[in-house]
Amino acid sequence: MSSPEAGASAPAIELRGLTKRFGDTLALDRVDLVVRPGMVFGFLGRNGAGKTTTLRILSGLARPTAGSAHVLGHDVARAPLAVRADIGFLPDVPALYSWMTAREYLDLAGRLFGLDHAIVAERTDALLEMAGLESVNTRVGGFSRGMKQRLGIAQALINAPKLLMLDEPTSALDPIGRRQVLEMVASLRGRTTVFFSTHILADVERVCDAVAILERGRVVANAGVDELTSRAASNRLTLEVEDVGGAAAIAGMLAGRVWVRSIETAERVLRMSVFDLAAAQREIPAAIAAAGVPLRRFEIDETSLEDVFVELVGGASR
Amino acid sequence: MTGFVAFLQKELLEIRRTWRIWVIPGMLLFFGITSPIIAALTPALVRSMAAAQPGVVIQLPDPTALDASAQFLKNLDQFILIAIVIAGAGVVSGERSSGTAILVLTKPLSRGTFVLAKLLAQIVLLLTATALGTAACLGVTAVVFNASTGGRLVTAVALWFVFAALLIVVMTLFSTVFRSRGAAAGAGLGFYFLALLFSNWAPAEHYTFLGLLSATRDALAGQAHTVSLGWPLAVAVATIALGAAATVYIFERQEL
Repeated sequence: MSSPEAGASAPAIELRGLTKRFGDTLALDRVDLVVRPGMVFGFLGRNGAGKTTTLRILSGLARPTAGSAHVLGHDVARAPLAVRADIGFLPDVPALYSWMTAREYLDLAGRLFGLDHAIVAERTDALLEMAGLESVNTRVGGFSRGMKQRLGIAQALINAPKLLMLDEPTSALDPIGRRQVLEMVASLRGRTTVFFSTHILADVERVCDAVAILERGRVVANAGVDELTSRAASNRLTLEVEDVGGAAAIAGMLAGRVWVRSIETAERVLRMSVFDLAAAQREIPAAIAAAGVPLRRFEIDETSLEDVFVELVGGASR
Repeated sequence: MTGFVAFLQKELLEIRRTWRIWVIPGMLLFFGITSPIIAALTPALVRSMAAAQPGVVIQLPDPTALDASAQFLKNLDQFILIAIVIAGAGVVSGERSSGTAILVLTKPLSRGTFVLAKLLAQIVLLLTATALGTAACLGVTAVVFNASTGGRLVTAVALWFVFAALLIVVMTLFSTVFRSRGAAAGAGLGFYFLALLFSNWAPAEHYTFLGLLSATRDALAGQAHTVSLGWPLAVAVATIALGAAATVYIFERQEL
């Protein structure tokens, strides 16, 4: 059954307490997540974190043990056909019929949506061109992995979906194939919501607007990519001095201050994580002057999504 | 039933494009052509073998068109039913293990439509191939024996076809229940041999679809069947319907 808000105003994806158990293994543990329409959303996590299980539930291939999953306002357990009419889905390894040509596959995909023949033909031409397969007449069995992946994305777009769900779309591709797939995803921004699972952080930084990080079946972070990286970046500092023992001396002076989260030293370098950046910027120069150590470098770190990921997931795994 | 026609056409195209076009149709055509020839040559072959053994005399009646049709029916019972078991073992499990089912079942194609289109495609394939093989058998018989068993063979083959269609449904069920093609084939062969074993047990012959197997031989011989065909036919049709419903029910509850 669909909720009254099914349609344009509803979140593209809404998970509430979503739980999935395989025997004794808890694959998803009360996951809450909302994905707003129109964004390219990265669903990040290590292998086995629960990303594919989430996508399988969203696409109707598996059922949740507890909690609910809504797609475009439709409950996936109660209205699976309504959900599937509005989504495009690409699994991590797209298995296409090897005896078909790309054109035949797109024609089948379009007709499975009940689309009019003329619309299917028009979209097939456009999607083959987008996938760079318009002049390929060989059967899918002879395609490279990259060609299959691009055809996989094309078939997922045949119904002009409101939500496109991609499971690890670049994980097994070479750099050129990966770039082509990411360009295809980026070209969809603003036209459709893209929910994109991956463990490749560079891909998320490159194409995603927002990200959720899944670890051991739980969402440990959920924010815009820029917000997430800037939030972490503003809390990390690096200090380099001329004297070998200078870093340790400064560390000794700063340890115990209320704004210090952690300090690590290695010869001339001191790395700090702080709770209050403004306090650190005020008090560190004074400490350096008091120690009488010549300063070589003092900077606020440019933190990548990888640093955030390692901090969140690495911490969780310890 | 969104996508039923599209998926059925995909199934029929797959049959044409892959090995499936060569197995059951190829075998039926082969047996249709060779059964009358083998029936005609067998007495001569046996006589020549006997001639090589001093003191052995074998008397065989001259072969007839009925022998040709009986040979064809025997081949249907033995080889084609086993081919249906082997080919049907992967009809659902193959799509599931290869992952091809995932892409079509994440579109508005219901699991029920998926199964029913597969069943219909297999039955259409078998019906076409059986008609072709039977026509070939009748044609070659007419040439070799200058005679025909026409109506009797068609009736016998029609009764066999009902049993074969039931076996298709059973194999689709096994292919859905078992994740592996090998397990489905094993279960199917078990079903086939048990069916042969119990087909001569009177209660099973009278009141179940197993009566169809002996009815084919009676129909060819032009004899009235020793038991009424009502029960075997009714039970066969009910089993086909229940088997298809059970397959859909089970597939809808499986996770892919």
